Amino acid sequence: MELTSPQAYIAFSIILLAIGVYCLISKRNMIKTVIGIEVTTIAVNTALLSLSWARVATISHITGAMVEPLAEALVIISIVIGGAIAALALSLVVNAYRHYKTLDLKKLRRLRW
Amino acid sequence: MATGVGIAEVMGPVIALIVFSASMPILGYIEGKLKYKYLTGVAASVGFSFALIYLAYFLWRFWSSLAKGVALTSPLFPNFGRPLGVEIRVDVFSTFMALLFIGLGLLISIYSIKYMEHDTGLDRYYAMLLLLVAGMVGVAVAGDFFTLFVFWELMSISSYSLVSFRKYRWEPIEAGFKYLVMSTLGSLVALLGISLLYYYAGTLNFVLLSEAFARPDGTLKLYGYVILMLIFMGFGVTASIVPFHTWLPDAHPAAPSSISAMLSGLVIKAGVYAIARGSFMIFKPTAFDYGTLFVVFAVITTTVANIMALLQRDVKRLLAFSSTVNIGFILFGLGTAAYASHLGVAIAGILGLVGALMHILSHAIGKGLLFLAAGSFITRAKTRNIYELQGAGRAMPWTGVAFSVGLLSLSGAPPLAGFVSKFFLLMAGYSVGNAFMNVATSLMLVNSVFAAAYYLRLLQICVIRPRGEGVKELREASPVIVAPLVILMILLIIIGCYPWPLLDIARSAASALLQP
Repeated sequence: MELTSPQAYIAFSIILLAIGVYCLISKRNMIKTVIGIEVTTIAVNTALLSLSWARVATISHITGAMVEPLAEALVIISIVIGGAIAALALSLVVNAYRHYKTLDLKKLRRLRW
Repeated sequence: MATGVGIAEVMGPVIALIVFSASMPILGYIEGKLKYKYLTGVAASVGFSFALIYLAYFLWRFWSSLAKGVALTSPLFPNFGRPLGVEIRVDVFSTFMALLFIGLGLLISIYSIKYMEHDTGLDRYYAMLLLLVAGMVGVAVAGDFFTLFVFWELMSISSYSLVSFRKYRWEPIEAGFKYLVMSTLGSLVALLGISLLYYYAGTLNFVLLSEAFARPDGTLKLYGYVILMLIFMGFGVTASIVPFHTWLPDAHPAAPSSISAMLSGLVIKAGVYAIARGSFMIFKPTAFDYGTLFVVFAVITTTVANIMALLQRDVKRLLAFSSTVNIGFILFGLGTAAYASHLGVAIAGILGLVGALMHILSHAIGKGLLFLAAGSFITRAKTRNIYELQGAGRAMPWTGVAFSVGLLSLSGAPPLAGFVSKFFLLMAGYSVGNAFMNVATSLMLVNSVFAAAYYLRLLQICVIRPRGEGVKELREASPVIVAPLVILMILLIIIGCYPWPLLDIARSAASALLQP
């Protein structure tokens, strides 16, 4: 498996996905949770790009980077959406800090189950 | 079979909603200058009316071909057709959902004019409300996963900000953050499923994808099940299916009541719609056996949420759990349809989907009504505890009557809409006729009786009992708040007494989804 092959990128995106989900589950700081969401978004975007690249590579046997227009457009839109979500999440974090003077999620849990 | 239709004709309602949403900041500025605090609310209601009129015009022009089961399609950008271009696709199911979204949106925005009058930042509120409905209508008319995902995120982002709209209190902030994290993770999982679809088929168009997965062999079948699970889990977070439902009982009570009605009536239905599109449209139930999975999840969802709902003392939290219960019923209808078509029992398949669609309708109207009525109780009585709201329905007679009709409809009392839908769901389950479905349907029947128990308890406490201490000097809400409640109540009664035209529509939508 070469480092420039689509398989390497797919493996990389799976590792990123694991890191992002681990960060979401284990971290108690709200900012770190937002970072976890962002890492997961990037992982899924990378997966989408590298899967479309892998598809082109299997069909046409062309080596090197390839462009798949629909996947690229979807990834660009997904990046923009990720930015909007991060902005909204951070504004919620600011408001939560104003209420509690802490960013610790464990101290925030006033909601019952 | 598909025929072309102009893009402006299909997207007209969405464009109208987005234009009105974009004009909200200017209207908010004028509102501040004029010192007339209802301007933005009235403008938003006018925007919803425009969208509704546009949709009615569209239906009037194209109903004859839609009713025959024809799907109208149109590329979003004229020079980019299939397989890579994005597409709008309208069939009976889409228009059914779009009509529900815009109609309930209109009533909720009228309700909000008076309900939200003491809040500030109303231009932002109505801009987000219009964008939320625009996103949901876009999800309903999407013809490929690209369009669906973009409108899905439009809907999600506006609903996160609407849940945490009253940011000066702690509860909306916390619930909004929880909702944001869970739902974003869900849409990312769905996007992962979409990218796997793209890897296999090289397109995101629903029709081409369904052709690609029409005759699956061994490995392709396994691959299809993996994608199906990802899409089910991803959209299932918004639809609040049980292991992924934990955001819902926090987000519903924290949001303003109008937004709770919006979330419970419409947003979680959009999740169900996306699941139905993703499963029935692409993975034909004759080739893939996912009905069992849906039925098992439906039974678990209903049972767990029923037990949780029985324990609640907060009226909005109780109604939130009951939304999850009803999502279980809708999922049961979808699962029965898939299961029956896999076995080849076509009639039970159609019945299951008709039941699911009717339950989407009756639950959207009924739960919207209940949240709006509960909101009007809560604004007057300043409490959400059901024991402190004792007898509030007697103090506010119109709201009380509407509240009772909504509760009776959801519990399945005969002349109301909830009876029709639950009847079809259970009939579909029993008409499959094997042991698994008989057991599952019986469990759903028991759950339905269970649900009726706490609806009737709520009815008994809030309406039938004599007035408690807290509600002695309550006055009836303003006519602007009562009017949407009465309209929804009348709709419930009409659908319950005369469901035949709607059943015809639901049947043609069901056969459009199930056609091979």
